[in-house]
Amino acid sequence: MIKKQHSIRNVHDRIGELEEIACQIRIDIITMIHKAGDGHPGGSLSVTDMITALYFEVMNVDPKHPEKPDRDRFVLSKGHACPALYAALARKGYFSRDELPRLRSLESHLQGHPDMNKTPGIDSTAGSLGNGVSIGLGMVLAGRLTGHDYFTYVITGDGEIQEGVIWEAAMTASKYKAGRLIVFVDNNGIQSSGPVDKVSGLYPILPKWAAFGWHCQEIDGHDFSQILSAIEKAQACTDQPSVIQAHTVKGKGVPFMVGDNSWHKRVPTTEEYREAMRHLGGPCL
Amino acid sequence: MTSLGNTRIAFIETMIELVEQDPKAVLVCADSVLVVKGQDFIRKYPDHFIDVGIAEQNAVDCAAGLAACGLIPFVATYAGFITMRACEQVRTFVAYPGLNVKLVGANGGIGAGEREGVTHQFFEDLGIVRTIPGITVVVPADADQVRHATRAIHQVKGPAYLRIGSGRDPVVDCEEIPFELGRIRILAEHGKDIILFTAGFVANRALLAAEVLSKEGIKATVADVHTLKPLDRKGIVTLLKKTNAAVTIEDHNIIGGLGSAIAELSAEECPAYIKRLGIQDLYTRSGNPESLLDYYGIGVKDIVTAAHTTLKRRDS
Repeated sequence: MIKKQHSIRNVHDRIGELEEIACQIRIDIITMIHKAGDGHPGGSLSVTDMITALYFEVMNVDPKHPEKPDRDRFVLSKGHACPALYAALARKGYFSRDELPRLRSLESHLQGHPDMNKTPGIDSTAGSLGNGVSIGLGMVLAGRLTGHDYFTYVITGDGEIQEGVIWEAAMTASKYKAGRLIVFVDNNGIQSSGPVDKVSGLYPILPKWAAFGWHCQEIDGHDFSQILSAIEKAQACTDQPSVIQAHTVKGKGVPFMVGDNSWHKRVPTTEEYREAMRHLGGPCL
Repeated sequence: MTSLGNTRIAFIETMIELVEQDPKAVLVCADSVLVVKGQDFIRKYPDHFIDVGIAEQNAVDCAAGLAACGLIPFVATYAGFITMRACEQVRTFVAYPGLNVKLVGANGGIGAGEREGVTHQFFEDLGIVRTIPGITVVVPADADQVRHATRAIHQVKGPAYLRIGSGRDPVVDCEEIPFELGRIRILAEHGKDIILFTAGFVANRALLAAEVLSKEGIKATVADVHTLKPLDRKGIVTLLKKTNAAVTIEDHNIIGGLGSAIAELSAEECPAYIKRLGIQDLYTRSGNPESLLDYYGIGVKDIVTAAHTTLKRRDS
């Protein structure tokens, strides 16, 4: 029941298409960070497939009417992964792809972290970690009061859920049986200063959410079949908020970025850019 | 004897009126429903009430989400828990996106601190919110003014902070003087020797001091600066130009609140002799509200003395 207008049961035919879109978005991410000379490639690449699934298959959104009240909402709580979101929004038609290389520049509407007032299609300002689940919950509760049955999707990082306010939101969403709140934890396993299990005592992740009353699933966050199927199950769970622990790879799609956490925030040189494009099948400079 | 009103009840009764007229208004609490005397509100409008538990950051973020979808949430709990514990959420997720969230802080000041001690006496709230761009900051003089202020911030789109008290808040008998957001109110005009600028639940003290001063031959004007942001720059400068001398009276640290606002404006536009009365940048004690304000130098006597001293400095 992903959306009335396009059932998930038919979308499995479209997985190849989604994979192609995700590849194009990865090309855009690397290109924009290379050209802009700034940005976070590693975590952008790990969320790309989830964002692709949401914007190109799941969410009820219309770039021609970005403010329509009954649209589904999306909060990229790990806002530093915004190159992935910007690339998806541009490809979806919210603004021109020509804007992408101007990321983080004074003239651009593409801020270093998402700004709901400057960039068309952004539902929530984000970037300071930990806040997206509460904001998403507010959006779900607003939908109840205004009579709209949209879903709100949130993507958090794994390091991000070390923030206490995440668990404040987990309790409240459970109290309000916020079935229309669906949270992905982008579990790429590495945060700014190192592996998540070395930096904090976060693991295991899902038992904590389960203890707070959430509907829990665990998937490969790069497998569209699993992503879509998990969303379908989350949507079907109407009286509990849902969390999906998505096992992902930081730097996914660009082999030399995988396992090297300097790519948390680093700009590819021209040579690195060319190598990335060879892997992704994108155009060379 | 000071007569007391209840700013918390004034707020919640006005909230009930607002929801009657505007289905977009919502009350968000952080286990603070008893703080704002919200039982009647919940009974009448259960769907317009959200309690997130003791979780102020969550409350403010949740309100941001509600406002992003067109509602008008009023987040009401203790002033310090909104402005300090949830400060970043207020700044980054409410004020920066300019969302239509109203923040209502109880126990603003030591007089409103319910004898709880420093943990529940909040005298930094105004300084904190005043440094955050884009928030309207309102510090009403008493319960009657809280009703006007609540309606006013509901009408103006965008983030606002409203300070309320303990529920035992001195009444200022000046109801006939209209409340207009961003405009000072002249509460008394004995003459033009000195201006007594006041904000919050110490206006009664400024009025009493003006009467004492008048008997001593010093004719003061008492101005209620209920809106610290946007500041009524024109109204304040006009007064300062007449006297070149002022005393500021507030239940707040002298850094960051009314005293700072007036001194900053004066320094830029109309240099004047100013004495700032308030909490003198220190931590306070538990105690009876009236005794506390006297103890920390915000008494009627202190205002009178400050007026004399300031005029002496001006005239020497």
